[in-house]
Amino acid sequence: MDINYLIEGPVTSGIIASYLEKMSADRNAGGHSFFLGQVRADAKDGKTVLAIEYSAYESMVKAVADKIIETVLSEFEDLKSVIIIHSTGIVKAGEVSLAVMVSAGHRHQAITACAKTVELIKERLPVWKKEIFDDNSHIWRDNQ
Amino acid sequence: MEVKVLFFGVLAEVAGTALKHYSDVNLMSDLKHRISDDFPEIVHYNFRIALNSQIIEGEQELKAGDEIAYLPPFAGG
Repeated sequence: MDINYLIEGPVTSGIIASYLEKMSADRNAGGHSFFLGQVRADAKDGKTVLAIEYSAYESMVKAVADKIIETVLSEFEDLKSVIIIHSTGIVKAGEVSLAVMVSAGHRHQAITACAKTVELIKERLPVWKKEIFDDNSHIWRDNQ
Repeated sequence: MEVKVLFFGVLAEVAGTALKHYSDVNLMSDLKHRISDDFPEIVHYNFRIALNSQIIEGEQELKAGDEIAYLPPFAGG
């Protein structure tokens, strides 16, 4: 499957549906596990998050995401495919900024491998987020 | 001989630029000193350094065309 890890703007329901169609075409898959990360309208100090602006080190994202997929595929022998899509640019609260979609022959490995892929993304993918508040101020957030 | 330095996330804000070129620098330690001189605030932040998209630690020799990246803690997802 041809995979482009980064997209500008939110991961839309149309994008997710198109990947599900491709994954379903594999008749040996018995389960798909999806994780969809969404921008949360966190409230802090009387301000509310309106959106997150994501930036990424694109060439390194490619190398790291390739390696994450290779790692997960080698660990779970029942997997059929692993898809990672992450947003860059502005994603508003309530929109999806990360999609991890995993197909396997059976549910257990699909679910476990999806969770592991999300953790590896959080730890290793060179992506940064700037939370933008309703008073136009911003702060940089990290996963630590 | 020239190398390219990229600043990401909050470090691009601190440096006031996402990209800067440095000439006549052969060692990573020398480059780090020059960057700290140019952007003194940067030492107050947590970051790792990548050389040609690979995270490195310690001393490295640099060659023309190398791409060095200053990476704050990751925040994907």
